Amino acid sequence: MSNWLRYILLFAVVVFLQVTVGNSIHLFGVAIPFLYIYFLVRLPLSLSVNWVMTLAFLLGLTIDTFCNTPGMHALSCVVLAVLRKPVLNLYTPRGEDYIEATPSIRSFGMSLYVRYTLTLSFCFCLTLFLIESLSFLNVGRLSLRVFASTILTFLMILGMDSLTRSGREKRL
Amino acid sequence: MRNLINFLWKHSSWIVFAVYVVICCILLFGRNPYQRSVYFSSANRISVVVYDLQSEFSSYVGLRTANRDLQLRNGELELEVLNLKEQLNYYRSTIGIDTIPSDSVMHNYDFIVARVVNNSVAQINNYITIDKGRADGVKPEMGVVDQNGVVGIINVVGEHHAVALSVLNPKLRLSCKVKGSDYFGSLVWDAVNPRYAVLEEMPRHVEFAPGDTIITSGYSSVFPEGLMIGVISDYKKQRDDNFYALRVKLSPDFGCLGYVRIISNRMKEEQDQLEKEARYE
Repeated sequence: MSNWLRYILLFAVVVFLQVTVGNSIHLFGVAIPFLYIYFLVRLPLSLSVNWVMTLAFLLGLTIDTFCNTPGMHALSCVVLAVLRKPVLNLYTPRGEDYIEATPSIRSFGMSLYVRYTLTLSFCFCLTLFLIESLSFLNVGRLSLRVFASTILTFLMILGMDSLTRSGREKRL
Repeated sequence: MRNLINFLWKHSSWIVFAVYVVICCILLFGRNPYQRSVYFSSANRISVVVYDLQSEFSSYVGLRTANRDLQLRNGELELEVLNLKEQLNYYRSTIGIDTIPSDSVMHNYDFIVARVVNNSVAQINNYITIDKGRADGVKPEMGVVDQNGVVGIINVVGEHHAVALSVLNPKLRLSCKVKGSDYFGSLVWDAVNPRYAVLEEMPRHVEFAPGDTIITSGYSSVFPEGLMIGVISDYKKQRDDNFYALRVKLSPDFGCLGYVRIISNRMKEEQDQLEKEARYE
């Protein structure tokens, strides 16, 4: 139960950080950090994919109402939720080791966690900017935005993960 | 039957996925009332609380620049008032009458001052959230300007907040002209740089040079004539050779909007009604 509470709190925190801080950052006019996907990246792997998709949809819709972009973030979040397990399976061919784990640097180890989050951020940014530019395609700028935002998002997730980890260690 | 249920259960994630994707696509592409409803925009109650909090903080931090801008603008206006007074006195003394018919254009317009609580420049479709709504007399399709020029047009209105389409939104087309000529074109953002927009369909024989001022044409009922939009920085021929596309440096700094004015036109309904009638005749 306390786990649920913790995730609800995390939901609120990432939404708040995204709308107050994340959305007002655009480095060099191209890179936007989507740090709120940290919530989806972090959901435990034992949670069924239906639940993950539902939470992703709700999270995306919340961000959408703040950004006046109905459906855009929600769709990219749902895509991200579906891709979570396939991406992990891609990097752990033997699999199974992490089936009960909560994705974090500590449980995955640095190299696996980096590959996992980097791939997911890339997929997310690609879907999001593709949807956004459906009406207004400019390939060069699109790829620039995707790559820059992927890197920034990835760095933000790493930062947030190390923050939550240190918090828990202190508590222990 | 059992097999069917088993099958559905096994593939339930695909079904859930499909349902969410369909909902998202309806939200994205559908012309449905949700898109203009307050609940799905940043003017809803919860977003507004968060944005108010944020702008409360950031407007405090930006006070120094806001103050400087206001001082500058104040100085300009004072000079203008002095000039106009001088002119008025001159005409009074030469013509010898006390009443001079005043300029009637601005008489039909009212202003509502509002604070920007949220504003984006990094997306393709950018919006501005302001802290005045229906209760303060704001209605959809009113123009929004700040001290430097045109900023946007009101789109969705909540009770105490409203969302405006920014000029940095390709859905918004502004009718405008080069100051001093009467030929007009439409200004639209090309989603590249938040400091520049493109003025399309300017006939080739219009004379202009980089550095000339672009102002609103006054042909729509949203903005009065002569509001500043930006200055020409560059131009090139459009595909069909009969028109120029001008690159316009926008005069408002969309990165740091503080206070804006919402323009309400007393004659708007009348003008819209007339235009509508003319279209259906």
